[in-house]
Amino acid sequence: MNQAKSKKVVKSTLVKIFIFILVIIETYPIFWMITAALKKPAEFVSKPAYALPDGLYFQNFVDAWTRGNMGLFFKNSLINTFVALIFIVIFSMTIGFAVTKMDWKYKNFFKRFFLLGIMVPVATALIPLFQIYNKMGLVNTRLCLILTYIAFGLSLSIFLVTGYMRSLSNEIMEAAVIDGCGIYSMMWHIVVPLMKNAAVTVLVLQFFYKWNDLIFSMTFINDTKLKTIQTGLLYFQNEFGAKNWGAIFASVSMSVLPMLVLYMILNKTVIEGMTAGAVKG
Amino acid sequence: MKKKALAWMLSAAMTVGCLTGLGTTAVMAETDESNVSKEAVAADDSAEKTFKILSIWAQDTREGKLIYDLTKKYQEEVNPNFEFEFELVSSNDLTTKISTLIASNDLPDAFAYVAGQPLTELIEAGKVVDIGAQLEGLGVADKIEDSAKNLLKDLSSSESFYDLPLGLNVEGFWYNKQIFEDNGVEAPTTWDELITVCDTLMEKGVQPIAVGGADKWPLSRIVNAYVIRTMGIDALTKATTGELSFTDEGFVKAAQEVADMAEKGYFGEGCTTVDNTTAANMVLAGEAAMIYNGSWYSEDIASENNPAGEDGIGFFSIPTVEGGVGEATEIPTNCGNILALSSDKYDGATAGWLKYFVENAGDYAMTEMGSVKGYKYDATAELSPVNQIVVDTINGTTKAATWFEAMMNNETKTAAQDNVQTLVNGEMTAEEYMQSIQDAYDMSEF
Amino acid sequence: MKKVLGNKKAIALFVGPGLILYVGLVFVPIIWSFVYSFYSGSPGLKWEFSGLTNYKKLFIDQRFMDALVVNLKYIGMVMLGQVVLGLCMALIFKFWLKRFKNVIRTLIFFPVVLPTVAVGQLFAKIYEIQPNYGLLNSLLSNIGLQEWVQPWIGQASTALKALSVMDVWVAMGFYAVIFYGALLDIPDDVMEAARIDGCTSFQMFRHILLPLLRPVTITCLVFSFSGSVKMFESAMALTGGGPGNATTSLSMYMYNTSFGFNKVGYGSTIAIVIFLICILGTTIINKFDVKEEA
Repeated sequence: MNQAKSKKVVKSTLVKIFIFILVIIETYPIFWMITAALKKPAEFVSKPAYALPDGLYFQNFVDAWTRGNMGLFFKNSLINTFVALIFIVIFSMTIGFAVTKMDWKYKNFFKRFFLLGIMVPVATALIPLFQIYNKMGLVNTRLCLILTYIAFGLSLSIFLVTGYMRSLSNEIMEAAVIDGCGIYSMMWHIVVPLMKNAAVTVLVLQFFYKWNDLIFSMTFINDTKLKTIQTGLLYFQNEFGAKNWGAIFASVSMSVLPMLVLYMILNKTVIEGMTAGAVKG
Repeated sequence: MKKKALAWMLSAAMTVGCLTGLGTTAVMAETDESNVSKEAVAADDSAEKTFKILSIWAQDTREGKLIYDLTKKYQEEVNPNFEFEFELVSSNDLTTKISTLIASNDLPDAFAYVAGQPLTELIEAGKVVDIGAQLEGLGVADKIEDSAKNLLKDLSSSESFYDLPLGLNVEGFWYNKQIFEDNGVEAPTTWDELITVCDTLMEKGVQPIAVGGADKWPLSRIVNAYVIRTMGIDALTKATTGELSFTDEGFVKAAQEVADMAEKGYFGEGCTTVDNTTAANMVLAGEAAMIYNGSWYSEDIASENNPAGEDGIGFFSIPTVEGGVGEATEIPTNCGNILALSSDKYDGATAGWLKYFVENAGDYAMTEMGSVKGYKYDATAELSPVNQIVVDTINGTTKAATWFEAMMNNETKTAAQDNVQTLVNGEMTAEEYMQSIQDAYDMSEF
Repeated sequence: MKKVLGNKKAIALFVGPGLILYVGLVFVPIIWSFVYSFYSGSPGLKWEFSGLTNYKKLFIDQRFMDALVVNLKYIGMVMLGQVVLGLCMALIFKFWLKRFKNVIRTLIFFPVVLPTVAVGQLFAKIYEIQPNYGLLNSLLSNIGLQEWVQPWIGQASTALKALSVMDVWVAMGFYAVIFYGALLDIPDDVMEAARIDGCTSFQMFRHILLPLLRPVTITCLVFSFSGSVKMFESAMALTGGGPGNATTSLSMYMYNTSFGFNKVGYGSTIAIVIFLICILGTTIINKFDVKEEA
């Protein structure tokens, strides 16, 4: 009896330790990144990577903010991401609904066609896209960036949404139709409220991708006034590979911040949403 | 039914693709012919223009400051109608950006680019201005140092030059004087002495040479150093024109020498994971004795963050090798990345800017930064010790050598740089290394 | 009901705008690069129609072959790691974890949020050997395994594995969360019944959980596959494709060919190959998913 009990205690302690280590492994980087942002340049060479900073060297943040133009880039990123996200959510909802629940001939074909986009290597599209935008006179505008974000965000979002849509019970829709709902009012009053989780999931996942975009904004935007936050990192390395690590980590920390906040607020919905979506998908 | 729909979509998309694809090629063919003209354009110092600059140097770095400040001054002092935009891209993404811009026929007025083979491709396609000819026309050709001009001409293998230098860097070994003194060694003049110094330092437990192998070029530069001392400064040019094979015994021997140095531990553990910034800081911090680096390093040396102090770091030219044809005054020189001008956008306003820039760059660089950029200067400024070393070395150079990959096309260059890591790791022999370069060279012709 | 759901106008309105953007900005560029794959050089630079030359070149290009092998190895390691470890973590949550479920689940998901550049830098510091031992090497050296200390990302023999470990680490939490959701959906009485019948833990996993988890496993495999085929950013951030070309993937080789070597035509050819591999792989994975869909 006693032995069994102590065995159980040992086991649960081991499990606790194991989980503790797991959590450390997964979260240490954030901690490390923030401490690295507070290190002086020389500390990166003379001290081991895991050492804590000698003091709080806030100059890195000042550099990142002023030299890296973070204030302006921050605003640009916010606008682009925000507008693109709204459309991604709307389109993925309507398309997701149309290809799973609605009744038409080519719905499976279109579903597959949209999902194909998950596999497109981004760099392939770069030169053709630039030529398209250049012809339309859209290079160097917010619009071309937003359009690209929407187009490249659709596939994954639709994939997630269709998962949810399948779990939407036909009875509810039927009841709505009997009550005299047209397609639009059904979409607005029945589907959208039930798909709140799906919307939040798409929103947050796409936010991560769009916020971290570098390649598109670098290719399509020349004007410093329109550049986005990830380009701010570029100000801290030169042609011979010299890098100001402290300032880089300071800018990364700053650019991660909004994601952390958003994630902390919405994480429960996201994680529940993601599971639900994927399972049924 | 499904199939039909798919076929329809494909053909529709295909048509769009073909039309647009063909459209662009047609446009390109036209422009290729239109801008081969070599006639000098007269400067027009009142023309209205929005001048676009694509830079890889931020406005507060030396090169960025030079471009930005002089353009600003040109606008203020000479041509108030001259507006300009200064765009920054990362040096890693420069070629991507330029490729997309060329593909859309939209090169900016002035842009940073890579000297050597990459620029030569643009010259052949008629994309860039013959700056040599334009400067003659503007009467300011003598404002650029002959050494810089010759270097630019050599690099683009042509009679004229098509780019503006933004620095004139000499390369060699930099060493921490304190470490040398503590261990009783002196700056070597022959390669054998260099090896002896390294051995002595190894015995004393000091890492002899720091090398930023993660950035690749610092390693291939050492192969190059040995090549130019044994085979002379034109060996690599011969190899890239096919006159000599990359698998020539001399090249293999140089690769072997560097592999041996790595094998003996001169470069420390895992040198292929160290970036050049870290390596350079190791010498300043006294954690390694020497580094092969260019004179851009003087900026770090003169910085107040240098723990060794500005006087604590010395310089010696690549030691000579017994029986080799190279001499100590033949110094690898480079102009870093350069500034080229788009031939499509070149006009009187740009000519005015060009004239102003070339006339003033030398003095501005000397008075504001105390450095030499490849332009003639009248101003005399108090040079700091390390800048004095650089200026003396430039003045003492009898023949300028280029770096290892300067004349190689990009495929060959990539092989040379990627595989040098494998070479020093001992995962590839010297013969295999040189063979891989030769293979890439052959393949690039395909 | 049928009439409402078959409303043609509504379908056009729902699908139309998204479809236009998708076709115009994702699909057309792919077709466009398919056309490019028959040209040599780069648009604006030695741009000439060259027929099938680029496709022939694939077969004699040693570097393409190397990149293909690297990419396949990477897909194998990363797919296995992400999905298996994700599943293991989900099982731990479900059966071992009693308290702080939400907090821990949140923390585990965290690396997904980080920008790749930051993750790359972080792992470069973990694997570091010079000038100071990084986290891993100093750990090994402190527990007396000095002979295991090595430049993890500086030698061809370990670089790809080190990179795979990083990518597994990043995405593990993502898959764990998906699997966890699937586990929650399995009714408790099924497992209870099995336990009463005397099933061991392993038997239960093998005969009850695994079949029930099949659809979600396939989803995860597709996700992981399409992500790892496109291997690019993480390798760029950690190793830059080196040492040598030990971690140069197809996408990186394509990128270098297009923009470094100024051969957009040949680069597009490689892009088409990547796209085909993607479709092929996904189709194979979906073959295991016979029962669904019906």
